[in-house]
Amino acid sequence: MDFRFSDDQLTLTESVRDYLAGTHGPEVLRRLDEQGNRDPAIWQGLVEMGLTGLLVPEEHGGLGLGLVEAALIAAECGRACLAEPLVDTAFVAVPWLVRRGELGDLAAIAAGERLVPLPHVLNPWVADGSGQPLQSVDPLRNLVMFPAAGSSDPYLLDLGALMSSAQLVGLADAMLHQAVEYAKIRTQFGQPVGAFQALKHQLASCAVAIEFAKPAVWRAAQALQDGGESASVHVSHAKVTAGDAALLTAETAIQVHGAMGYTYEVDLHFWMKRSWALNGAWGDRAWHLKRIDQAVIGGALPIGPEHTFA
Amino acid sequence: MKLGFSPADELFRQECADWLNGQMAGEFRDIKGITKLTASPERRKEWEQQLAAYKWSCIGWPEEWGGRNATLAQQVIFAEEYARAGVPGRVNHIGIELAGPTILAFGTDEQKRRFLPDIAAGKTIFCQGFSEPGAGSDLASVRTKGRLESGEWVVNGQKIWTSLAHISDWIFVVTRTEEGSKGPKGLTFLMMPIDQPGIEIRGIKQINGDAEFNETFFTDARCPADSMIGGVGDGWKIAMGLLAFERGVSTLGQQMAFRNELDEIIAAAKANGAAGNPLIRQRIAQAEIGLRLMRYGALRMLSNTDHSKIDGAALTYKIQWATWRRSLGELAMDVLGQQGEVADGSDYEWDTLPNLFLYSRADTIYGGTNQIQRNLIAERGLGMPRERRGDV
Repeated sequence: MDFRFSDDQLTLTESVRDYLAGTHGPEVLRRLDEQGNRDPAIWQGLVEMGLTGLLVPEEHGGLGLGLVEAALIAAECGRACLAEPLVDTAFVAVPWLVRRGELGDLAAIAAGERLVPLPHVLNPWVADGSGQPLQSVDPLRNLVMFPAAGSSDPYLLDLGALMSSAQLVGLADAMLHQAVEYAKIRTQFGQPVGAFQALKHQLASCAVAIEFAKPAVWRAAQALQDGGESASVHVSHAKVTAGDAALLTAETAIQVHGAMGYTYEVDLHFWMKRSWALNGAWGDRAWHLKRIDQAVIGGALPIGPEHTFA
Repeated sequence: MKLGFSPADELFRQECADWLNGQMAGEFRDIKGITKLTASPERRKEWEQQLAAYKWSCIGWPEEWGGRNATLAQQVIFAEEYARAGVPGRVNHIGIELAGPTILAFGTDEQKRRFLPDIAAGKTIFCQGFSEPGAGSDLASVRTKGRLESGEWVVNGQKIWTSLAHISDWIFVVTRTEEGSKGPKGLTFLMMPIDQPGIEIRGIKQINGDAEFNETFFTDARCPADSMIGGVGDGWKIAMGLLAFERGVSTLGQQMAFRNELDEIIAAAKANGAAGNPLIRQRIAQAEIGLRLMRYGALRMLSNTDHSKIDGAALTYKIQWATWRRSLGELAMDVLGQQGEVADGSDYEWDTLPNLFLYSRADTIYGGTNQIQRNLIAERGLGMPRERRGDV
């Protein structure tokens, strides 16, 4: 049992985090919101970091890494509230295409020249595809109604749900950070509001929820990577846990910001709305809970101490 | 204790419903069902005047000022039928429910004559200038300054979260009139006309895209010396009296709107199959219980006419409804599932339920956050030691 990451994994994750922190701050989100949502320079930067080819096998021009690395990077995308469709194409579509042996587009995907937004029967709409535009609650998500029926492949659903979970954890981390920083500088009654237990304890509860969601996401990534029988249940576990953590943190972060948290002028709303969108995507909370209860009560998931980490 | 309505009350209910439904099917059918506070402001000002023309604008006020001296039961009934008929919220609710009652309670006869008839008639729309960027939960730390200068108050500073200031005629403002004073001392309550060079208004966009709130800037803004309610230095007392009116009869109409929202959630759950999910069913049941508790709590609060005593129902009411409604927004989203992500129209126009989710994020903040409410319950209600605070 070892939840530690390798130095390579940590270095990669940190480099992506630093890159996004340096190039993709909240001012970028505000600019995109006012100017059409997409900026080719952002996409180009992701391509140059090799992220579009992260899961593309090396012989097709990618880095040939696995779902654990992808989940770590997806969390960073959530932290930065990245709106570009990197996760959908590079971390959801690519492993699905590889599994199906459809390798023709991989080189173009790695080169950043092709987007593959995939619909699922649970997900009739996709981001950054072509079709009838829809208005998402997330102002930076370019949603369209996909013209054809979606796939019903459970592996595709698991990939989408896993990567949504990873983003949700990153989104939650970022919202908690924003709320903590605000609680330090906003003063009322002659002291920072963060000095009041009423706020401190709420933020601490968010930290608990987030810290316990992280290993559930990592566990699910490893399980899906390894292809174990219970991988889908682990993915559902991650989705529910990460979604709950993100929504709790969104609600709390707004509360900590007071009335400012309810405005469009404080950047927090971008993270909150992305959390809302991803929480419902690739199977909503009820759907994933049902998959868990069926596995546990129905006996498909072996339970007992010897199976806890299996 | 006497629960229920009398036969006379039921006749009154019929009269209210007939008139409101007639208006919403007739002359004012174009505003029926509007939930956005900023939509169709001119028509809604006309609606205020229509209410006044038929003596429905402030039925709880004394007859001499345009009201009907209506009993509590009648006010409850009117508020319920108002919401049930799908009539949009009052753009002058601050005038009718806060400014008017404050002037009635604390104003001079001259001030009553000057303000009340026009508020009742829907000709004077009021907004509220309490919060400031540095004075939110800590309302007593207001810094906007007022000074008397040759028979006029001159005001400098900034207010924030002034709902509907952009369509209002007057604003009431809590100002610091005693140089060097701190906290609740040295404050004065002024009424100021908005249309003047010294007042500037800037809208604040909300998370749902609407802009109901404003920042209001005062730069040598002026009002006559006798636009002060109470005396110099009485501002805190007046403001607290006014906030007590905020827990008024309108809370009951609000519950009818909540009823409509819960009904819509139940209908959505039945339509999309979420009602088959036991977790959703139980949350709907809890929401139903919560709505009824709220109703009993509000009626109990309104039945208490001795405001000199700390009333448990009044002290606990805000946190109860706010927390209930915030949870209702989350229930709505869980019922909608992925469908909740998508707006019906374009340009950030939301269906009732996604908008409910967004709007309900503010419920536990405005009018005293849940944290402030809990401190009030613990410190004033339970008599617990006051929390340590910094130097103000």
